[in-house]
Amino acid sequence: MLGRVHPLPKLVFCLLWIAASLAIFDLRFQIGSLALAAGLLVTTERVRPATVLALAVPFALFGFGFLSTSLLFDRETGFAVQMAREQALARPDAAPGLVLFFRALACGMVSALFALTTDAGALVRALMAQARLPASIGYALLQAMHLVPDVAREAQAMRMARAMRRGRAPGRIPTPWEVGALAVPLLAYAIRRAGRAATAMEARGFRPGAPRTFLRAPPPARGDWAFCAGALGLLAAAAAACAMR
Amino acid sequence: MTVAPRAPERNARAQPDAGPALARWEAVAARYPFADRDAVGPVSLALRRGERALLLGPSGCGKSTLLRALTGLSPAGADPALTGRTTLFGRDARARPAACWADTVAFLFQDAEETLCGFTVEDEIAFAPENRALPPARVAALTAGAMARVGLPEAWRRRRVATLSGGEKQLVALAALLAQDAPVAIADEPTANLAPKAAARMSALLLGPDGPAATLVVDHRIGSAVERIDRAVALGPDGRATAEGSPRAVFADAGERLEALGVWTPLASCLHRALGRAGLVLPPPLKVNEILRAVDGLAPAGRARARRVAAGFAPEPPHAARKPAMARLDRVDCAPPFGPVVLRGVTLEIRPGEALGVLGPNGAGKSTLAACLAGLAPLRAGRRHGPPGAVAFQNPEVHFIGGTAREQLLLSGAPAAGVDAALAAWGLADVADRHPFALSQGQKRRLALASITATDRWPLVVLDEPTAGLDARGAAAIGAQVARLAGEGRALAVVTHDMDFALAVCARTIVVTEGGVLAEGPTAALLRDRALLARAGLAAPEAGPLLDWLERR
Repeated sequence: MLGRVHPLPKLVFCLLWIAASLAIFDLRFQIGSLALAAGLLVTTERVRPATVLALAVPFALFGFGFLSTSLLFDRETGFAVQMAREQALARPDAAPGLVLFFRALACGMVSALFALTTDAGALVRALMAQARLPASIGYALLQAMHLVPDVAREAQAMRMARAMRRGRAPGRIPTPWEVGALAVPLLAYAIRRAGRAATAMEARGFRPGAPRTFLRAPPPARGDWAFCAGALGLLAAAAAACAMR
Repeated sequence: MTVAPRAPERNARAQPDAGPALARWEAVAARYPFADRDAVGPVSLALRRGERALLLGPSGCGKSTLLRALTGLSPAGADPALTGRTTLFGRDARARPAACWADTVAFLFQDAEETLCGFTVEDEIAFAPENRALPPARVAALTAGAMARVGLPEAWRRRRVATLSGGEKQLVALAALLAQDAPVAIADEPTANLAPKAAARMSALLLGPDGPAATLVVDHRIGSAVERIDRAVALGPDGRATAEGSPRAVFADAGERLEALGVWTPLASCLHRALGRAGLVLPPPLKVNEILRAVDGLAPAGRARARRVAAGFAPEPPHAARKPAMARLDRVDCAPPFGPVVLRGVTLEIRPGEALGVLGPNGAGKSTLAACLAGLAPLRAGRRHGPPGAVAFQNPEVHFIGGTAREQLLLSGAPAAGVDAALAAWGLADVADRHPFALSQGQKRRLALASITATDRWPLVVLDEPTAGLDARGAAAIGAQVARLAGEGRALAVVTHDMDFALAVCARTIVVTEGGVLAEGPTAALLRDRALLARAGLAAPEAGPLLDWLERR
């Protein structure tokens, strides 16, 4: 469902949602945001709950320091206390460490919701066509997206060649030593490939700053803005409810 | 013997205009920074409306540099100093930046993976018309038209380019070239990585009557598409034109010289020269069938003599003795790392002294099978038996760890006393002290193979597309080394799109497609099975008609 919403209104909405999570220092709001984002991923986007949990891990690790201090030692870090004191929409009755932990999770899940429901190429094209992102930056981003799988494939071939010399098959996950050894050859590969891509783009008439058309970058439709407005209304209502305690 | 008149060129298109050239190189020479001689030229060349031209030359003679010089394109960070002049529609090419000439000249580069700029197939094809700021409706029409001409399914429009196989990417790059709607097309080895069926489609679109107004192609092995060529220009190793004219005339008059330079000439032309040396003077042919028809018209004595000469051109790869298998795959499922299973239930064995051909269309899973056969990729099901093997990967650069070619062999485990001999055996003695990345593509391939075979660690060696992008001499050198290694008792598997190479070096072949091994048997038998070739998207080798003729005789 969210995959059909134009990337730009969705981006605006998700950024405002994250901004609200940062501004409202309220445990209920953070847990509600987390539950809503995760729920949308599972119910409307058919993302497996295990995948949603896996996506939450890096954000949970980020907030885990606050959580452990708060729960295990029944104390708060100076940073958490200071955050709770400085935020305008703060509820002092909840442990600040707990709020920070869930805030990290909520922001992460909203980001995941945006990333998993948005075509990266369509987003970049929309940014170029409607948000005046310079085409030189937009196509550089698209090339970077191309580069990632190519570098991964090249890295795999290099790992096989090196494993061959060691006389055994490469492991599934590269060791830190392997990553270090591959860094320079892969960087050299990426630089060479980027140079060739720049030549190819020039050959096909790409000139930074020149006028261009976009075949498939329609502006947001009324429905997209209506969705955005409705979602923002809900967000404002939730924020107001939290503010009224 | 009487000298018969030359057969007319078999080209259904209208002949090229005699009018002004669309593109012209006037005494163009290019020299890279710090080089002590020109990379190419001076060369003068003109491309007229309706013309299909072929640029031939040994590896490293500067063909790509010459092509790019047309609009002033140059590799990033390595601008060559250009002398001479290039013009497009009579206008000095330097009058506009290279990007502005995209409305006039469309380039198709050798490696599509490195030239695609969009995110989805549709983005990719629409990129050039978008750059020209054409109205969206016109961009949409050009995109749809190009997709239809290349035969790309509509379902591919939103497909990410990164999910395509190498051959599929090359077809998308061709569609992008057609959508660019430029009157002049320049293609640099467009079929080097394509399976025969896809290569034939590409040649038809680039060189056929509905293609661009003028096309210049560089190809080390253009095969049957040579019939579509109006004019061939051959560069020598010094980067200067050494022969020019209709392909029939160039191969007839300068074929001997081109062969000596390591430049590809059609099998029919090679046979024609050999028959000439035997006193049988026949009209210069482009296709094997043409010369065989001419031979059939000779007197019985002449036919018998021709048969003896022709028999020398029938590939006869060495057969391996019946020995126990060196490596065996037993009902294995193969998958690339982190990818889905692409081949199921593969049972296969390879014997010492054998060169096994692995053929199949683009994206069939040949490279994945190669890694599994060598024991480098984990199997999803089944078992592998036998010692670990080595793979010579498609990109030879992934093998390089040394600062020089000599050091590369030492670090690969070659005994110090044998390094010079190994370098000489692979024709690398002159570049022993050069950095591996500074070598030509053919030299890189040979160095990668030398570093694998310079030790006896690997009794099983898998070569993944060993001849891609190599000139005739490079391919012949690889073929000779394969025969030598098989003679030493090593087992070799050769993954290739080059049917004639497979026929020349592999006694036995498997055809991989449709998620498994479709056929296995003697290479000559498989490559003459038209139904099998059609089903697997392959094409008969150039030598196929010759084998049929010899059998009938």
